[in-house]
Amino acid sequence: MVTLEFHDPSGAIEVKQAHAPRVSALAGKRIGFVSNEQWQAYRMLPLLKALLETDFPGIEVLPIDAFPQGNAVIGSEETAALVKASGVDAVIIGNAA
Amino acid sequence: MTNAVAGLGLAPDAAMVTFPIEMFLPGSDITPVQARKGEFYDGLTAWRSAFAADGGSEAPMIRVEGASVEDAFSRANNLMLANRWGDGLPLWPPTRERVSWILAGTAQPRHRSLGTFPPRGGVTTVESCAIALAMAGGRPEYLPVVIAAVEAFLDAESGSAQLQAASGSAFPVVIVNGPIGAAIRLNAGFGCLGPDPQHPAGASIGRALRLLQQNLGGALPGIGTMANYGGLRYTNVVFAEDEANLPAGWAPHGTERHGFAPGTSSISLAFANGATNIRRRGAKKETPEEDALQGMYRMADFMRAPNMPGLAGYEDGTPGILMLPAVVAQTMAGLGWTKASIRQFLWEHSRIPAAELRRAGCRAWIEIDASKVVRESIDLDPWPITASPDNFVVVVAGGGHPTNSYWLQGYSPGVVGRPIELPADFERLLAQAERDLGPR
Repeated sequence: MVTLEFHDPSGAIEVKQAHAPRVSALAGKRIGFVSNEQWQAYRMLPLLKALLETDFPGIEVLPIDAFPQGNAVIGSEETAALVKASGVDAVIIGNAA
Repeated sequence: MTNAVAGLGLAPDAAMVTFPIEMFLPGSDITPVQARKGEFYDGLTAWRSAFAADGGSEAPMIRVEGASVEDAFSRANNLMLANRWGDGLPLWPPTRERVSWILAGTAQPRHRSLGTFPPRGGVTTVESCAIALAMAGGRPEYLPVVIAAVEAFLDAESGSAQLQAASGSAFPVVIVNGPIGAAIRLNAGFGCLGPDPQHPAGASIGRALRLLQQNLGGALPGIGTMANYGGLRYTNVVFAEDEANLPAGWAPHGTERHGFAPGTSSISLAFANGATNIRRRGAKKETPEEDALQGMYRMADFMRAPNMPGLAGYEDGTPGILMLPAVVAQTMAGLGWTKASIRQFLWEHSRIPAAELRRAGCRAWIEIDASKVVRESIDLDPWPITASPDNFVVVVAGGGHPTNSYWLQGYSPGVVGRPIELPADFERLLAQAERDLGPR
């Protein structure tokens, strides 16, 4: 029997921070959208906004353009700061393809 | 997407709702959003990551057993392919012995970190480079080039974090300058962009880089990268500039672009997403001046296409890499052409009339570009395909035949240079190569 032992080439991954905790429920919460304006986001995100407003009493869903839009800016620290300062409880980001 | 979050230091999963690509196209039926609204709601409330919030995941050694050497080798290859670590071609299992042999190509500590490979964020060390080079069938004398190329790749200026996942099928191009090219049998002449058993270094170096892109960076077709075609990605493009035959007064690329002293071994990394042969030579009784000028028009006219790859590097990158064989470069130099005048000509004569930009819908792409320089160029008529003639890369390389030049269409936010660091006993490695492969 021949044994061949070799390095795993996929390397190590460092997990430095946890994902944001989820909200317990959506009723009465404040939800924001961050849009890159690509891949039909201009149609899909407003639909999702309307669905949230219909299904959850007391929910506040910010306008789709409440935060800077477009690929060039949605990943910036400035946009993240604006989202954090807005007091939203959760954010939906779209669209990627 | 999981690559992207892992690259940010988050656990490699995310609360997301995925749909077939058709739903993201103009005029699509988006009612599935309503049908699956519960998944969106769960993503905000019930979703939990499957990974621990802290700590790292260290990669173990892999062990296979076979009835014979051949059987063990075959099982190792099957396992690597099943784990999506390969590229469809046979791999050399990166055993401790093989990797240690490869590591003789550097004096740097094996666990020295070079950064994390985007977008997945795989921790990248000198050892990682040696593992990939071993898998690619490489030799220790190639390792200094791989390390320098990876350092350049991981430099944010290269734009690799976006290009690894983007749909444009960009591939890295590594131009090597200095004496190391000839020393390690890297091709600068005939067939320098293709397979050549006389000059095997480029294939292994480029393949090692590709394996790192995939295995550490997560650029798996259709999963971690949306590159439609993934062209030229088995070995990327790695070649040496034909410095021995540069015309008098023509500086090496590494000197011109990055300021390295002539004679310095260095790499320059850019990204391309197209590769085209351009028939440069005249067919009849052209004078030398006509032959040169007509060839220049043929090249510039080809570049004058409204397909927008150069937007990626409009300010500081490159619209592409023009390769000229030395025999052409020397003839043109004799007529007074320089690399600078070639760049200027290409820049002027590749400009696109505004009406053609409008017809092809290019204005929309210019309007939404992240770069202010790009957005402000929108009304230039004709529109230059790059902000400055200096952005064109012109290198002397290719077989000693005047008929063709070659254009590697750029998709390159930056062009990043790095010096190549050699171990003190590098000559010993070259002597070993002479014993193994025969004289150069």
